[in-house]
Parts: sequence; C-alpha cells; structure tokens
Amino acid sequence: MSRRSGTDGSLLASLPWTLLALAFSLLPHVPFLPIWITVAFIVCAGGRWLVELRRWRLPPAWMRIALSLACFIGVLASYEAVSGVGPGSALLAIMAALKLMETRQRRDQFVLLFISIFLVMAALLREQHLWSLLYLFIALLITMTAWLQMATRENRRLSDSFRTSARLMLYSAPLMLAMWVFFPRIATPFWAVPIDTSAGTTGLSDTMSPGDISSLSASDALAFRVQFADAVPPPRDRYWRGLVLHRFNGRSWTGLEATPDWGARKRIEYLGEPVAYTVTLEPTGQQWVFALDIPYEVTLERTFMGPQQQMARAQPIDQRIAYAAVSYPRYRVEHAAGRLPRSWYLHLPENSNPRTLQLARELREQAGNDQDFIDEVLRRFHEQEYFYTLQPPALGRDAVDEFLFESRRGFCEHYASAFAVMMRAAGVPSRVVLGYQGGEWNPLGNHLTVRQSDAHAWTEVWLEQRGWVRVDPTAAVAPERIEDGMSGAMINGSGASWGLNAPAMWLHNLTLTWDILNAQWNDWVLGYGPDKQFSFMEWLGMDEPDWQQMVLTLIGVVMFLVALISLLLIRRYRPPATDTAAQLYARFVRKVGVQPARGETPLEYAARLKDSDTADPQAVDDVTALYLQSRYSSKGDSALPQLATAVNNYRNGR
Amino acid sequence: MSSIPWPFPEALSPRHLRERLSARVLRWARKRQGLDPHTTTLTSRRIYILPTAIGLIFALTAFAMLLGSMNYNNNLSFVLTFMLVALGFVAMHQCQRNLVGLDVSFAGVEPVHATRPLEFRIAVHNRSKNRRYNVQVYDGRIVSDIRDIPAGESRVFRLEYPTRQRGRMAVPRFGIRSNFPFEMFRAWSWVHMDLEALVWPAQASDVPPPPAALTATGHRQHDARGEEDFAGLRGYSDGDSPRHVAWKAYARSGELLSKQFAGADTSSQWFDFDTLDSTDTERRLSILTRWVVDAELLQRDYGLRLPGHEFPPAHGDAQRQACLRALALFDEKRGS
Repeated sequence: MSRRSGTDGSLLASLPWTLLALAFSLLPHVPFLPIWITVAFIVCAGGRWLVELRRWRLPPAWMRIALSLACFIGVLASYEAVSGVGPGSALLAIMAALKLMETRQRRDQFVLLFISIFLVMAALLREQHLWSLLYLFIALLITMTAWLQMATRENRRLSDSFRTSARLMLYSAPLMLAMWVFFPRIATPFWAVPIDTSAGTTGLSDTMSPGDISSLSASDALAFRVQFADAVPPPRDRYWRGLVLHRFNGRSWTGLEATPDWGARKRIEYLGEPVAYTVTLEPTGQQWVFALDIPYEVTLERTFMGPQQQMARAQPIDQRIAYAAVSYPRYRVEHAAGRLPRSWYLHLPENSNPRTLQLARELREQAGNDQDFIDEVLRRFHEQEYFYTLQPPALGRDAVDEFLFESRRGFCEHYASAFAVMMRAAGVPSRVVLGYQGGEWNPLGNHLTVRQSDAHAWTEVWLEQRGWVRVDPTAAVAPERIEDGMSGAMINGSGASWGLNAPAMWLHNLTLTWDILNAQWNDWVLGYGPDKQFSFMEWLGMDEPDWQQMVLTLIGVVMFLVALISLLLIRRYRPPATDTAAQLYARFVRKVGVQPARGETPLEYAARLKDSDTADPQAVDDVTALYLQSRYSSKGDSALPQLATAVNNYRNGR
Repeated sequence: MSSIPWPFPEALSPRHLRERLSARVLRWARKRQGLDPHTTTLTSRRIYILPTAIGLIFALTAFAMLLGSMNYNNNLSFVLTFMLVALGFVAMHQCQRNLVGLDVSFAGVEPVHATRPLEFRIAVHNRSKNRRYNVQVYDGRIVSDIRDIPAGESRVFRLEYPTRQRGRMAVPRFGIRSNFPFEMFRAWSWVHMDLEALVWPAQASDVPPPPAALTATGHRQHDARGEEDFAGLRGYSDGDSPRHVAWKAYARSGELLSKQFAGADTSSQWFDFDTLDSTDTERRLSILTRWVVDAELLQRDYGLRLPGHEFPPAHGDAQRQACLRALALFDEKRGS
C-alpha cells in the first residue's frame, strides 16, 4: 500500500452543501436527541471541513471502527432500543457523523445525502405541522443542490446548481401532487411500529390530583376541534365529557378502566333538541373519546359507552381521528335509582380530611334537603374568600382540608374535589367528571377550537328522582370561566393571577386565521385518509371508486403530467429553427445524396456536382443561385418560393 | 483491487457476456441509424437512456419510503416520497433532453507516429438557449473530459487512442453521453462517422547515417563552401564535436543528433528502402521514417524510394506528408 496522503481538497466545492443539508435535516431532531449526539455531529462535521480545508488526513480505520462501536453502544444505552423514530434518528445522525469521517470521494457523499433524506423523513414522522411542509421543501432543495454540486465536474457556479434544483423541484411538484392525491390510502398499517408522538403531548390523565389540570392549563396545545351541523350551543353548555372518576383516596381521584357497558345508554333519558357535530381529535394515546354532555351516538368505530356514560374506544387513539356525534344537552341519567352502587359514590377514606367532613355534616344538618345543601356549599365558595388561580400553593396529605380552610386558592380540580368530598360526607352520592369546558369559537373557520388549557373538572351529584345532576363548583367561584371559556377567565377573571395580557385585536385575528389554516391543514392534508380520498374521488365523478380505479387514474394522470413536463423540456431545449433557405438547401443535398465536404462553399459544391455524372448541371446551377440569392441578398425572401419549386422539381441524373 | 479468478469457462464470465452484449447492441444501433454525416444533430430517436447504480439505489430508497409512509399513514412523508419519485421522472427527461439537439462534428485528427497517442477531436455545438451539463465523449474505456457546454457555444472533446503499429486507425463510432442532473440516469447516443487516422511508423531511435548526397538523378550542385555541406544526421556518439550537434533538431525532438557533412559536392538525398541493410521491413520503415523527419527538420531536399513508389526529391510539408503516408501504408494488406 502506498502511503496514505491527506485529502486532495476535491470535495471543497460540494462538501459545504452536503454538511448544510445534513445539518438542516438534523435540526428538528435536536430537541429530542441526547445532547452528546448533536455534539458528536457538530464535532465531526466541523472536523471534516477542516480536514478538507487543510488537506489533513482522515482518521485511520481502527479509530473509526472504535468510534462506531462506542456510538452504537451509546445509542443503545440512551434508548434501550434500536427501532422507532427516536433511536432511528439518533442512529442516522451518528451514521452521518461517522460517514463524514471516511468521506473521500463523491460516492461517499451520495451516502450522506441519502442519510439526509432519511433524516427529513424521520422528522416528518415526528411532527407534522403546517410549517413541516415548508421545512420539507427547503431541506429537499438544499439536499438536491448539494447533489448537483457534487455531480459537478466543471467549476460550475453555485447559483446555477441552486436554480437548476429549484427548477427541477418545480417541475416535480404537480407530479408529486397527483401521486399524493391518487395514491390509494389504506386504513390499517402493515405492522405496528412504536411512534413516539411529540414528547410532551398533553392531555388528561386517568387520575386527578391537585395541580394536574392547572399544569395543562398553561398548554396552548390543541385538544380537538368541533364543527357543528346547526346552531352552536352557548358556552355554558359546552361541557365535553371525558372520563368519570369515583374513587377517592384522600388526595387524588381515579376511575374505572375503559370498559363497555351495553346498558349504559338505556339508563339515560334524552330530552330536548339534539346537537349534531363533528370532532377532530388530536392523538392522546388514551382511549377516552370526548363528546358533548351527554352523548347519544358517536360514529367512531369500536367505540362504546362505559357504565358512567363516558365514551371510550377499544384501542388508544394514536392518530388524529374525526368522528361525528349527536348529543342532548338536556338529559336525565339514572334517575330511577335501581342499581346505583351507592357505596361507590359515597366512599371516603378513613382519617382523612376530618375538618371537611365535619363542616359538610354541619351544613347538611342546617339545610333542609340535598338541593339546599348543594346551594349552600356553592354559596360559600362564591361569597367567602375563595380564589380562582392557576398557581395554587402545594397541598399536603389532607389536600381538601388544606384547600378549604387554609389556602383557599385553587383551580377547577380543587373545587370539584372539595365539593365532591363534601357531598359524600353528607351522604349525597357524587363523582368527578374530567373533560373540557368551553372552547374558542373561530368565526372565520366556523369551528370551535378546544385546547388543553380548556381542560376542566366538574362534579355530578345524584339526587332522588333527578338522577345524576351536573354541578360545577368552579362556576360559583369564577363564573367567567364557564361563561367565556378559559381565555375569558384569564382576561377578566376575578382571581386570575396569571400574567396574561389581553391580546391586541389583530393578534387575536391572526391567531384565529392561523387556527383555521391549521384546521384545514389537519383536515385536508394530514387527515387525507381512505374516507376523504373516496369522497374526493366521488366528487371527481367516479362512481363507487375502488383502488383499481384509483391506480388506473393515478397512472393516467402521472403519464399525462410526465408528457407535459417532457413537452416543456422539449420547448426549452429546442435549438432555434434554421432558416427556410437552409432547410430547403439541406433537402436539396439529401436529394443529391452527396455530402458537401467540410468548408466547401455552395459554389464549389455545385462545381463538384457538375463534374460528376449524376447531377443535372442546369438544375444544380439554378438551385445554387436561388439559394445564394435567398440567403444573402437583401431581397432574399422573394426568391424563396422559386427555390422551393426548384428543389421540389430537382431530379438526379442528366 | 485483487479479484477472485472466474471458476467457469471464460465465455460465461460476466465481463465476456457484457462485452458480447454491448457489441451486439452497437451493431444493432449502427444498423438502425446508418452512417452519420460529419456533422450530426442528436435527435431524441437516437438517444438511449438507462438508470445508473445510483438511480437504482434511489428507486429502492423511494420504495422503502413509500412502504414507510403507508405503514405510518403519514401524509407528509407521502409528500416527501412522491416528491422524490417525481424528481426521478423529471431527472430522466432532463437527462435525455440534455443531449437532444446537440450538433456533433468531427474536428480532425493529426497523424502520429506509432506508440504516440492518437487524438481524435470531436466538436459539440449547443445551439439551444440552455446550458448542457456533464457531457462526455467516449469509446469504450477511452473517455474524454466531462464538460459543460454553455448555450450557443461549442466544446471540443478529445479521445486519445493508444497506437501500437503503423497503418490506418479506424474509429467506426463513438458515443456521447451525460448523466446530468443527479447521476440517476445515463443518456447516450452512438455516432457512426467511420473516422480514420493515419499512424506513421515509429521513428527508429538508433539509425545509421543517411546516405549522403546521392547523385542518382544525375543532378549535381557545386557548392563553394566545401566541407560545410550538410549531409544528414545520425545519433550522437561520444567524441563527436559539439559544433556538430544539431541543436535545432534537439530543441524539437529532444534527441541529441550529430550533423554529418559530405564533401564539397552535394545534392538531394535519396532514401531507398532496398538499400537498407536490415531484413526486417518494419525496422527499415522506421529508419526511413526517421530520416524523413530529420531531413524535414533541417529543411533538406530528399527523395524516397519504396518498392512500387517513388517520391522525387523535395522538401516541405506536402513532401513529408506524402512520404510518411506511403511509409504508413506500405504493403497495406499486411496484417492490419
């Protein structure tokens, strides 16, 4: 082997773009990756650049192998797995960093660019915001420019590569769109792969402890969107029922697992007018399906109603789903108390919250009946010094006692919890319902946006003859919270200590527009599944579209577009037409069947033809004279018809 | 790179099969296209295109990504996947278009002495308003530089063929190709121009001195300068006077030669095939070649006598060309 020399600097022109493409593809992964991987990549990329710049040598093979092993073990240690988006992108980043250390020639750069494309794909699996599309195109543009820069042999200008790749992508865009629209979507995946949805996805959990919901309230993340078929219910009726909690351990509430109860619906009496609407629910990773209190029907497949009138799906909701539902805002639930397991709803742990229990019993004594007792408790919340705040002080073991008698500052879960405990202490069956309350009406998009900050807890008490009745103790403390929704409470709220300023009007409108864009995005781009595709095909005029038809359409449209692109390119690359005289003369030459020699003038050529036996000297002279006249005379165009006739009439032979 | 020997008959080796296949394709293309004039415009009919290894890897990648997108039911990764597929389609058409409409013409070749590389020049002219990228002219393993051709401009590509023996060197065809834009496809076109070049015999390095001032024509010249008369050149040997070294010839050929001087009387020289001592025809031809070149360097009249040919004494480019041509093509049926 010859002595290994340093790099020759031949990659200087293309390497920066390759590095840029890799860095840009890696960027969205950085918040999710262990910091050492990002650092390793930056060190390797910077190092590689220096190596090229200074014509240093690349590290020897043993060092690269050792580094690879170390990094692989590092990823294993960080993730304890090698499949899935997280470890997958970590491995890709490591591969890119290590590959850089052995990149000598253009072929190695191809590998890097493929890695870059895979990193972009992994980023899309992770997050699919509206801006992800922009990111996708920019990342692809950089990668393709790097590719062209690498494939370059001459010292081509950078802007040239950039323009070319932009132009090629522009041509590709309609083709991509056609394939995207017509490529048949299937409902179920081939094999289950764990997806880690964006870390920090917020949502209601199965338990409620003090402070749970208030942490949610700081989240601006979308929970779901609703479109109503007809009239929109007023804010105070917008209770989105989620799960029901009935077990209390003195501090936190828990409920039943999501289990079907086929009799649950029979115990409801639906009154008044139904409300029909469609919910587009963001993935929660849980089974709970949110519906307006109280749901009559939900069109989501494999969805059932539980024994406490909560809706749940047989499997966790890992993808954004849309479902139509019908609810009745006026209802009576289990008002004929036959099978109500009272012990469930009256149980309180022993030796906890003694002061609350005592107070509840005293108040019940004074009140004439259950309804009066409820009113009295609500009045206390309303009239006494209770504050609605998102930053309540931490509570100890007897959370309810501390809240009621000491801190007196709390959020919906504090009030719901305290209220339910007091009800139970006085012998009134009670339970806590978790869900969302309110939502922001978007008049531009005609939909209701419900965010995580709208998460809410309220209570239901069971009253003789009336069944379960919804009581929202938070309404007694901060009625704006219920009337105007969360943002209203934040802006005007009596106890709102959280420093949110009233947003300027234009900002508000901007937010609304952004919200609409996102809604459309979710609906039409991310949610373009089998159903949407079928309805779109039907809209296009296909009766009962099936996938064969779709594939045929796909092929047809793609072929049409490819032909169009080809035509476009043909036009671009067509050499300018030669003049008519030259074309006619070329025809004459073809007829004669003798090529003019290189550098031979028409007159010389004519002389040569006349010397040979094949050509008619007179005709040759005529054609040549007319050609010269039409080509070089100032009134040349007038000779063209004659030239055409002469060429047409020309025959070989004397 | 070392390789494991092929364990089966050579006729079945991949390389052999590939060569046979490409020979077949070449014959087919020639039959289909016929002989091209010395300026040929590449039309789309005669441009062939196939994916490269990188193109195949790219296709596989796109397919893997399609499966991934379907599995995750992720509409954005569908966008990425289909964008790549679309880029592939566009690249295919762009690659073909990159050659269409180019004018290819033969831009000449200079005869060389055997063992020197023969350089065929191919001019490619781009009449369109678009730059053409990564264009290369090639013939099997013999390839030119890869160059761009800006709009409205021409580039000359050089194919260097090694030469071993004198005679005619025929290039029945050459190819012109491009892998722009992403090296995913290679488009090429065969051009059959039946180019031909002359390979002169190699110049013998150690030559006997040429016959001095023969008087076969009976024409004598008297020259008063007597011994100053130059008769020819021979290889320098130790002991030769530095005054007699042919510095001009040295500057041109890089070889040290000594001038030889005849007596007072001199005339044009005759280089005669039959009077040479050697029995080896090729050796004789290369000696004659050397003499012709040397005489030409010194601007000296010379005549050449070959069996069946005779070139009366003269000097100048026409004489040189005619003599060297005759030497190159001497007894042409032989071998080649």
